[in-house]
Amino acid sequence: MARSISKGPFVDGYLLKKADAARSSGRNEVIKIWSRRSTILPQFVGLTFGVHNGHKHIPVLVSEDMIGHKFGEFSPTRTFHGHSGDKKAKRA
Amino acid sequence: MARIAGVNIPTNKRVVIALQYIHGIGPRKAQEIIEKVHIPPARRVFELTDAEVLQIRETIDRDYQVEGDLRREVAMNIKRLMDLGCYRGLRHRRQLPVRGQRTHTNARTRKGKAKPIAGKKK
Repeated sequence: MARSISKGPFVDGYLLKKADAARSSGRNEVIKIWSRRSTILPQFVGLTFGVHNGHKHIPVLVSEDMIGHKFGEFSPTRTFHGHSGDKKAKRA
Repeated sequence: MARIAGVNIPTNKRVVIALQYIHGIGPRKAQEIIEKVHIPPARRVFELTDAEVLQIRETIDRDYQVEGDLRREVAMNIKRLMDLGCYRGLRHRRQLPVRGQRTHTNARTRKGKAKPIAGKKK
């Protein structure tokens, strides 16, 4: 079920602070975050976040189209390289 | 006989049913159209007057997205997900189920017909 609109988008509060800090300082450095559950807000556009996937931080450059998605959607948590002996295993 | 929304030519059926041959029009929208144009539900397509056919055509053109336009929009939405690099996009790229279904077994609609694996039988 979709989230009630009256609540507004869910974001972990400290992300806003981190984003502001990154913007006011020297820019283009990866902001490490663990909050995969947070919604991507318009004020995050143009920043690069390192979204944790349980192993390492995957750099995600936030673009306009990503608004409304969650950070976790851009940082896959599973590695599947195909089965052994599978000749034409597709690698993305 | 009656051409509505491009290529669709449904004939001897009741209008509500015939309209559903158009991609993007199901039971609900067909019913809505009938009510808007004031056609009795028992009326069949060959009994429609030219004026009524025209009215139906106009209503569909004006209020509904059907056939090519609809297909294009759906394809665009999927393409957007794929270009974005998000999880749903990755699943579309690999022709796997997008909404978290199991893939250990089943998922044949997305994966297509099962491919035999060499040496699987004991």
